[in-house]
Amino acid sequence: MKLKLGKIFIDDVKFGEVTKVENKTLFVNKEEMLEAIGGDEHIESIEIDITHPGDEVRITPVKDVIEPRVKVDGPGGIFPGMLSKVQTVGSGTTHALKNVAVVTAGKIVGFQEGIIDMSGPGAEYTPFSKTHNIVVVAHPIEGVKQYDHESAVRMIGFKAARYLGEVARELEADEIQEYETEPLLDSVKKYPDLPKIGYVYMLQTQGLLHDTYVYGVDAKKIVPTLLYPTEIMDGAIVSGNCVSACDKNPTYVHLNNGIIEDLYEKHGKEINFVGVIITNENVYLADKERSSDWTAKLTEFLGLDGVIVSQEGFGNPDTDLIMNCKKIEEKNIKTVIVTDEYAGRDGASQSLADADPKADAVITNGNANEVILLPPMKKIIGMTDYVDSIAGGFDGSLRADGSIEVEIQAITGATNETGFVKLTSKGY
Amino acid sequence: MDHILITNNPLVKDKYQDRTALVFLEKSYLEVLCYARGEIHKGHELLTHPLSGSIKPNETPYKSLLVTNKPKALDYRSVTMIEDSIETTKKFFSIRDRTQGLRKDLLADFQEIDYHLIKGALESANK
Repeated sequence: MKLKLGKIFIDDVKFGEVTKVENKTLFVNKEEMLEAIGGDEHIESIEIDITHPGDEVRITPVKDVIEPRVKVDGPGGIFPGMLSKVQTVGSGTTHALKNVAVVTAGKIVGFQEGIIDMSGPGAEYTPFSKTHNIVVVAHPIEGVKQYDHESAVRMIGFKAARYLGEVARELEADEIQEYETEPLLDSVKKYPDLPKIGYVYMLQTQGLLHDTYVYGVDAKKIVPTLLYPTEIMDGAIVSGNCVSACDKNPTYVHLNNGIIEDLYEKHGKEINFVGVIITNENVYLADKERSSDWTAKLTEFLGLDGVIVSQEGFGNPDTDLIMNCKKIEEKNIKTVIVTDEYAGRDGASQSLADADPKADAVITNGNANEVILLPPMKKIIGMTDYVDSIAGGFDGSLRADGSIEVEIQAITGATNETGFVKLTSKGY
Repeated sequence: MDHILITNNPLVKDKYQDRTALVFLEKSYLEVLCYARGEIHKGHELLTHPLSGSIKPNETPYKSLLVTNKPKALDYRSVTMIEDSIETTKKFFSIRDRTQGLRKDLLADFQEIDYHLIKGALESANK
């Protein structure tokens, strides 16, 4: 399967009379966009705002971040099973608007969604301070249930990304990147001397506000399966996860998964990157046993020499991570696990809720308990009423001058467990 | 039915008390885990992860979990998992206890999330 990803680099975003890209500026017709994304019975009103890197702006509470993309050529459409038909995607040509993101914001549950600061010290912790953000704030009708609200805002975000992505259909890409994964037997024949490497992509699937969808299927209902990596670049996996801002994978991260990009970079040179195994992180322990058994079975079945395993979230998924690692290692396949830490404010406490001696190659993306002081911003998109209760916040977090003292777990993407972050680790 | 639902969440109690064996505790998150540890030491096996949900143990007051209903020989995996979870919970509480004095709407949200987490597990358990 081969995908050409055409990147269109955007330098600025403005409201305008016609939604289009001109001289690297994306113009957005607000009324037309509202028309394209509105209409959900659970939503009373929607506001759209634009903010840029360096602005003294704070966006909170952030639900999802999504990159606008459009399928230009090849089967299927973007976000299959959610917005497009369920046809298999990942081949042909897709265009992406780079340096731009749709951010959905607004209270769903009063405490979990994250913060994006567009400037100041907090901006250093989130990759989404570097994108021009089209922020969609959806206000629910009175008395809406949390799951209806989450579903409505989730779909509004995808529709917004599809609406904006559509302008890229006729544009010439500034850069085209090709990604190709051949059928297993062909790739093994082609690269007989390279180690066969797979990626075990763990998806957050614990329940309400902790969900991920694959081709529209609630991933807690799946058994582990195989995907071509390029399917994920076309939106085969989307986020319904609102919880734990620092280490949830927004849809933007699924579309731009850095582990997949890096494995492709080395594909055919140092390694043979044969594909992605997706698995889930359920609450019921028998589900965990089944999924980790099947994940290990698939790594063996594919004849892999090594596997990278990334997790999403905190606590319960630590157990899935360790189960996957242990069972794959027991097949004599080497693993590297990718995670983050809740190691206390001084970083000295036990980092994960589970552990095993076989997990001897670990990449951490930071300590989510680290505390940061976010200075006041000139403008708030969304609301800060709930900051005292946000994950990583506490009573008195929001100060009278508008500054906020929080753990970095409150910042969207701060310790993302696919490495889509700026934090790194050093050994001394 | 081969499980017992242990919870301190009044919403879970309302939803399941007529349908499933249930122990309702008017106790804290940590005390629910400690009660479950006692049951595990009596030979009940853990059926759900004690740290279900990405909401941190020092944020939500609510916890629901499932154990087997008939005690058998001590299950060491359950012992390790509940001990690790209690240790993790204590670590978060040593940073700050945020579960006291929460507003009513936040309590309702936390109850709803805990309910949906255990609902998914019960759907798996009742297959």
